[in-house]
Amino acid sequence: MSKNIYKNTKAVILREWRRMVGRPIYLFSSAFVMIFCYIFFLTFFSEGMPRSMPIGVVDMDHSYVSRTFIRNIDAVPQAEIVEHYVDYSEARDAMQRGEIYAFFMIDKDFERELMSSQQPEFNFYVNEAYIVAGSLTYKELVYVSNMGAAYVQKKMLELKGEEVEENEILAIVQPIANDSHMIANPYANYGVYLLNMLLPGIMQMLILLMTVFTIGFELKMNTTPELMKTANNSMFAALLGKLLPYTLLFSILGIGGNLILYQYMHFPMNGSLVWFSLATILFVMAYQAIGVLFIGLLPSLREALSLVAVYAILGVSFTGFTFPIEAMPRGVQVFQHFFPIRYYFKIYVAEALNGAPIRYSLIYFALITAFILLPFITYRRLRKAVMKPDNSDSAK
Amino acid sequence: MSDSKQSKIKFRHLRNIVSVLVEEYKRMLKDSGVMLIILGAAFLYPLLYSYVYLNETIRDMPIAVVDQSNTVRSRNFIKSIDATPDLQVTHTYNNLEEVKDPFYKGQIHGVLLIPADFSERINKKQQATVSTYSDMSSFLYYRTMALGVNFAMLDQNDQIKIERLNSMGKVGREAEIAAAPFTYKDVILYNEGMGYGSFLIPALLVLVIHQTLFFGIGMSTGTAREEDSFYQLIPPNSGRSIFHVVVGKALCFFSWYLVVSVYVLGFIPKLFNQPHIGNPLDIAILIIPFLLAATFFAMTLSVFIRNRETGFVVFLFTSLILLFLSGTSWPRSSMGQFWVNFSYLFPSTFGINGYVKINSMGANITQICDEYIGLWIQAGVYFITTMVVYKWQIGSSVKRNR
Repeated sequence: MSKNIYKNTKAVILREWRRMVGRPIYLFSSAFVMIFCYIFFLTFFSEGMPRSMPIGVVDMDHSYVSRTFIRNIDAVPQAEIVEHYVDYSEARDAMQRGEIYAFFMIDKDFERELMSSQQPEFNFYVNEAYIVAGSLTYKELVYVSNMGAAYVQKKMLELKGEEVEENEILAIVQPIANDSHMIANPYANYGVYLLNMLLPGIMQMLILLMTVFTIGFELKMNTTPELMKTANNSMFAALLGKLLPYTLLFSILGIGGNLILYQYMHFPMNGSLVWFSLATILFVMAYQAIGVLFIGLLPSLREALSLVAVYAILGVSFTGFTFPIEAMPRGVQVFQHFFPIRYYFKIYVAEALNGAPIRYSLIYFALITAFILLPFITYRRLRKAVMKPDNSDSAK
Repeated sequence: MSDSKQSKIKFRHLRNIVSVLVEEYKRMLKDSGVMLIILGAAFLYPLLYSYVYLNETIRDMPIAVVDQSNTVRSRNFIKSIDATPDLQVTHTYNNLEEVKDPFYKGQIHGVLLIPADFSERINKKQQATVSTYSDMSSFLYYRTMALGVNFAMLDQNDQIKIERLNSMGKVGREAEIAAAPFTYKDVILYNEGMGYGSFLIPALLVLVIHQTLFFGIGMSTGTAREEDSFYQLIPPNSGRSIFHVVVGKALCFFSWYLVVSVYVLGFIPKLFNQPHIGNPLDIAILIIPFLLAATFFAMTLSVFIRNRETGFVVFLFTSLILLFLSGTSWPRSSMGQFWVNFSYLFPSTFGINGYVKINSMGANITQICDEYIGLWIQAGVYFITTMVVYKWQIGSSVKRNR
């Protein structure tokens, strides 16, 4: 019996392989797209942290102090002064055109007021409509402003004949300082934030679409009798034979991706790459199972594909890696449990980023594995559709 | 004589285009799959995303404090951190080792360590250093931690500085100026609340239009190819040409999406109180070339779609790629010239940037002339490619069927 299953499955696998190479869509929408996305995102974020973001300056004082300020700001690696504007409205116009992400403005008489202890004020303006560029330039401008204050205070005290040491002046300007540690991502590398989950986000899309497509297309084209003949009328062998080639293909793509990110690119991997790659394989199988669930639920290529496309797109949001789940309205938070990628993310955070002991991830391994059982819910329904080709939507 | 002949020719063009348009509308409205995308998805996605990202930012993010100083000063500092809208101290411990468990469990997203010599150093007029540890699994955790701690720190620093200056005999205005010889004001000009939704949603709205239009046209073309019905578009002796077919078909989707755009770009931002400081007229002027470019872009690429359903399978991943290529997230100045040039191939790039600048930053149409001209160039180029592709598709369909 089990020997038969093996033989039948093998026959279906061979048939599936011929189909895969027979039409470009199968390998294009799996291997090609995935490899393209690896290349795209790795080169896209190759800078790691945005550097030399364009900012502007309005210097109405034209003094020694204002020029010193401008030099200091220009020295910050994250920002680069690309333009001097004559007034506020000209600078704002450039900001609205998207030419600069921020500008700062030093009013007339800044130096004179500073020297005569009138506590002048200078302004800087940031555009948070582009939140990454805005937040980063904002942080740098605050830092430079504080350092500027320290520098001026030192000079002032020196003028009054009070000799002060560098660390003393720091204690005066900033009695409490913060030594900020960014766990596992010390340079706030933006690629590390995004790539580790964006790429699985794309992969779950491809797995879902491909699983539904490869089964649904048989229903649509009425090729299921031939499929069942190859499988010697064993539904189990037919399903297994159709799925296994993709399990292998996507596992290779996933683990290959892990090797590129964590070995070649040296993204943080503070736990075990073996455990994480095991999670990758379970991730592939869980999404195949959900694909089977969808086509079983709606045994029509068009309907199942439309639904699975919506589900796949939502999965990217409900991973919770850009915008955390707990910041979402309570009513939608519950949806996180419908997406294996959410648990995959949890494993990634515990294993790769934080290097937590494996016991913290075991529950998520179990939950991902549970998804693999889902096809049994619709197994009979799918079987009926496969056995009776009239059910397909091409007959409608 | 020649005048009336000319107007007759013009009239013939118009009649042919309108007849294609009417046929296409009938076909589109009858196709439940296409309607699911261009009506259902275009209606629901903006609502769904606006709701998911409604809260804009994290409030009261749970953090742990390890207070090794345990003095009035350190407790004051903790209190001022707890008082920020960003952070909430949910756990207190005596050493860093104990923090690991709640951190690994995801119960806290940051740790503040106040060292034993904290108060002592402040009292000795030295600089005291606290340490913060941020959860880096999301950019927002890190930003919330940094903002909250920074805010509380500035507050404490001001208090300590005034205290010290008072003890030196400097009081009132003199003390203030000595503490801060100059001040600065940070003004956030657009997206004042630094909200995540206010940044992402405007880009997503344009992308929803671009992608549903793309998949809608893809499905409709896939159907035509499957049924091999292209030859029917030009019945013999009808006087119809490829030009009539292309313009008629494009006008069908274009006119439908004019209405969709009013809902997605005009109504949704108001409903959810997302940024909408732009002039609606400027948005309308931008949307016309955007929809034309997106329509012809989709009609051109639909040549690769052989079945009704394959559009999703082949092109769904582009939704994420196009979002990043637009440069709303990762700044365009850091993108690398190759991908910047690549991004000009897609109407979504100009559409998203133009819309964000008008809608979220109050730019007018002259300030976004680059995007505006770019879209017209795309509309022109993709119109020509559509003509070529349709000529080939209809030609081969006619050959097979007549």
